[in-house]
Amino acid sequence: MGYSWQWQIIWDYRKVFIRGAEVTAELTVWALLLGLVLGLLLGLMRSSRLKLLRLPAAIYIDAFRATPILVQLVWIYYALPILMGVQMGNITAACVGIGLHEAAYIAEIFRAGIASIHRGQSDAAKSLGMSYAQAMRRIILPQAVRRMVPPFINEFATLMKLTTLGSVLAVNELLHEAENLINNTYRPLEVYTALAVVFAVLIYPFILLSQRLEKKWTMHE
Amino acid sequence: MTDAPLIRVQNLHKKFGKLEVLRGVSFDVKRGEVMAIIGPSGSGKSTLLRCLNFLEQYESGEVLFDNALVGYRRDPGGKLRPDSERNIRQIRARMGMVFQSFNLFPHKTVLDNVVEGPVIVQRVARSEAEDRARRLIARVGLADKESSFPAQLSGGQQQRAAIARALAMQPTAMLFDEPTSALDPELVGEVLEVMKALAAEGMTMVVVTHEMGFARQVADRVMMMDRGEIVELAPPQVIFGAPTSPRTAEFLRRVLH
Repeated sequence: MGYSWQWQIIWDYRKVFIRGAEVTAELTVWALLLGLVLGLLLGLMRSSRLKLLRLPAAIYIDAFRATPILVQLVWIYYALPILMGVQMGNITAACVGIGLHEAAYIAEIFRAGIASIHRGQSDAAKSLGMSYAQAMRRIILPQAVRRMVPPFINEFATLMKLTTLGSVLAVNELLHEAENLINNTYRPLEVYTALAVVFAVLIYPFILLSQRLEKKWTMHE
Repeated sequence: MTDAPLIRVQNLHKKFGKLEVLRGVSFDVKRGEVMAIIGPSGSGKSTLLRCLNFLEQYESGEVLFDNALVGYRRDPGGKLRPDSERNIRQIRARMGMVFQSFNLFPHKTVLDNVVEGPVIVQRVARSEAEDRARRLIARVGLADKESSFPAQLSGGQQQRAAIARALAMQPTAMLFDEPTSALDPELVGEVLEVMKALAAEGMTMVVVTHEMGFARQVADRVMMMDRGEIVELAPPQVIFGAPTSPRTAEFLRRVLH
């Protein structure tokens, strides 16, 4: 079995990977922003005492976690225009789809983080006369966020890898570019391997950052 | 100054599910009075204390603080309605609370813990709040610890910082929920000293405690609770000298050996 590896083509086509990485980064940033904002909102609703807030959040979270993201993306891009006349560009649709999906998971991270803070903390905040919003903002969330860093970095890595699903909407992110390249060069092993390396280079700095933050913050606990 | 009690509790009832934790509790606390609440665990002492500032919602009866109903308001028909969050917060801010587990904010330094309430709730200017905080921190003997984080302090130091944090709101009364129960024995004294000084200055205090020495020396009156009821409410000389209730006598025999 003499497979001869040809790594030279990766270098020759390096611009394709750089272009793809840019699109992947763009998808990641926007999907992450949407996921964070919506996730925080859903997580707070899910932690609420009021059923009126808790129930819709629970339904949203369960629905998005129980169905495949691939179908969610196809729905947002192809079915929404038919049903509601909402037509988004493919990059926007991918960002929205991945963001909505990730919001469900990020909401659970927020909920668990908030729930992990000892009840005495909110008792103390309340006894000083703080409102719910003040206690959340000043006392509960700053502590919860520190504990959320490890699961959050996990979710971030997952999210970045999920952006490869943008390829089904013909978004020219890394996977899509890689597959085009394979069609041209017939070197799938080299191209996929390089693809993995590019992802690792994109994701690893955040893993490092997370470890740094964890170290720094556990000092005072 | 009137002679009206600062805290008046009338026929207070509280349930957790089916469990009746408070079964018709009534008493007054006068201005400047120190009241100790003793009794076996599960007797409803802490719940009673937490009803005073509405950290715990009560179902029936009344808590009046400085003549104002706590947690509820009366509608024109005389029925109790839940009060607005705002009013509840305003009343709460007038009662400082100290917890068994300190509950300092771990992500803030001692100074920031003490400054937090005045700045965020009372909208006091930061510099003024810091002046006030430093005086209180010095008063509880932690002047050299203002930049420390709670985790860097001993239990006794944490509890003294927590007392300073509560005092920073310039409360009319202080509620203590077993303030020394989580402390190593050798650290109990330093917290009790701070509390004694506070009592000597005339602060109105309600103290749930297992420290019988403190109750005997510092309290004006001692309330003995058991199974959600007041068994006996009398000056310490009576409670510790000649309790009228056999349940009090039995409880004291057990805790004092």
